[in-house]
Amino acid sequence: MSTNEKKQRNEEEYEIVDRSKQGVEGVFIWGQMMPNNEPHDVTFELLGEGRKIADKLNTKLTAVLIGYNVKKWAQELIYRGADRVIVVDHEKLKTFAVLPYTQVIYDIIQKEKPEVFLFGATTFGRELAPRVAARVHTGLSADCTMFDVGDYVNRRKKLKFENVLYMVRPSFGESKLATILCPLNFPQMASARPGIFIPLKRDETRKGEIIDFTPEFSEKDFVVDVLDVNVGGGEQIDLKGAKIIVSGGRGVGEKGFDMLREFVKVLREKGYKAELGASRGAVEAGYISSKHQVGQTGTTVRPDVYIAIGISGAIQHLAGMKESKYIIAINKDHEAPIFSVATFGIVGDYQDVVPIMIEKVRKGEMVFPVTQ
Amino acid sequence: MSNKTFKIAVLIKQVPIPSKMRATKEGLMDRSVASMMNPYCKHALEAALELKDTIGEEKTEIWVISMGPPNFEQSLREALSMGADHAILLSDRKLAGSDTYATAKALGTLIQKLGVNFNIVFAGLQTIDGDTAHVGPQVAERLGIPHVSYVEKIDFKGDHVVVRRILEGGNITYKVPLPALLTITNTANKPRGPRLKYAIRAKNEEIKVYSVDDIGLTAEEVGSAGSPTLVYRVKNVTHDRPPCQFMEGETVEDKVNMLAEKLRELVEASKAEAVEA
Repeated sequence: MSTNEKKQRNEEEYEIVDRSKQGVEGVFIWGQMMPNNEPHDVTFELLGEGRKIADKLNTKLTAVLIGYNVKKWAQELIYRGADRVIVVDHEKLKTFAVLPYTQVIYDIIQKEKPEVFLFGATTFGRELAPRVAARVHTGLSADCTMFDVGDYVNRRKKLKFENVLYMVRPSFGESKLATILCPLNFPQMASARPGIFIPLKRDETRKGEIIDFTPEFSEKDFVVDVLDVNVGGGEQIDLKGAKIIVSGGRGVGEKGFDMLREFVKVLREKGYKAELGASRGAVEAGYISSKHQVGQTGTTVRPDVYIAIGISGAIQHLAGMKESKYIIAINKDHEAPIFSVATFGIVGDYQDVVPIMIEKVRKGEMVFPVTQ
Repeated sequence: MSNKTFKIAVLIKQVPIPSKMRATKEGLMDRSVASMMNPYCKHALEAALELKDTIGEEKTEIWVISMGPPNFEQSLREALSMGADHAILLSDRKLAGSDTYATAKALGTLIQKLGVNFNIVFAGLQTIDGDTAHVGPQVAERLGIPHVSYVEKIDFKGDHVVVRRILEGGNITYKVPLPALLTITNTANKPRGPRLKYAIRAKNEEIKVYSVDDIGLTAEEVGSAGSPTLVYRVKNVTHDRPPCQFMEGETVEDKVNMLAEKLRELVEASKAEAVEA
């Protein structure tokens, strides 16, 4: 008998633990609202991916919607894939604060006993999910980019687990993909990187159940006060809808961004849907508003063409743009990490390169491969 | 005991130098390569040092706390050379394979065991090797104190702090009672370097090392045994992206011309595809 056959035979004798039949039920997602009282895009992405996982587990998909005056969105979440929406609508929950939101989700987990609970790995999600996981004493896998359902054999305990959630995340500086399992605790929890998963098409024929939930708060949930909320306003920036993004780094400086604005303007005159992007460094240096920020703490984008100008390519930036179809990188340092994801690279000073590019676009001598 | 009334803890992790980062055959981070203080932890330490400057050196003490193999002493001594007062290392083979849940359990238990009633705890937003941003919030939950993640500005107001945290396209300002834990972003401040006046202390200060037994936990509660998650497998990322094509030419104009040519080829190829379809 070969080693493999022996292994197989041994496994046949293992006790089988079906993860979806342990008194737990359902895939849950946190339906994150933003301060403008609209859902974050990741909410729809989680519904799309959550739907797939729920179908594989043959169970229901539930969205948890927390905030104030948010019930109007419940039906929309059903159109986008939810079977059930649990609504927690309370004046004191108007703005995200980690303590009361943790308590709400903790209460829901205690009552509903979900099999899987997913969060968006947004700045709120990455603050909330770990606290919830610690409170319910379960594991958490961060920033996942892929999910699946499968088996897990624990040879030491002679157990074979079925219907285990596979949580796949980039690790070792994005160079590897690690599959994380949480075979013994519930719920199996993960945060999902925004901009990766595909939302479902809105379907008004989809039916679902809307459930009101009243959590039990105590004073200690409200020891932190929200003093001020400051979001965008003014000029609307559509990074997600752009076909070409011209993006600048800290090294570009304030004057350089004027040049980049000119580049975007010329591209638009030529009929391209172009937008101006920036790295966190450039935003922090005050060269440009945070609405333009691409990356893990900004917007995740995948345009047809991403032109990175003076961006060295920190992991957090790459995570937010490396799915772009074509990446053109312009940098003085030929070892800059941005070149590791670039299609085309020009090693040189952007002040020399960009004016020539603008001129060529203007004259129609430089065109870009964009879809309609 | 000292009469310093304001006590600050800073959680510090040592991480591999990014270019040296690699996995062991068990799929865990190889900790034997050249390493450095996690950059976000430097920002956390800087936030602590700035707070010490605000409150007054004579009234404040900073404890840097880490969990990891003995070589993490390197980062703790670096922290001492920047102005931290005490350094603690939780180090034990039993901790190997700890996930973020088990790590926070160990660190939270250690902090309680120290018996120092910290007024504030700082941590980096995340580490550059794990990238989870979990341990700070989970330590706060263990300690039963509030936390705020992504903090980029802190105003000290005596019994509370006013903090600004970043979010996608904006920020939120919170009033947070102390004690609390704050995780600090890399845009919050510019970390200082080592100071000559602390050099001798940084070299001679005893780094107190604790074991799992010392903090009253068992081997089953930490390390892989105490971790709800496990790494099932690790695969190399397959790049479907070919390597970068660098534009060549004598002058910048030549390089840009070459780029224009490459882009034109792509546009024509996609047009041809559209016709075929």
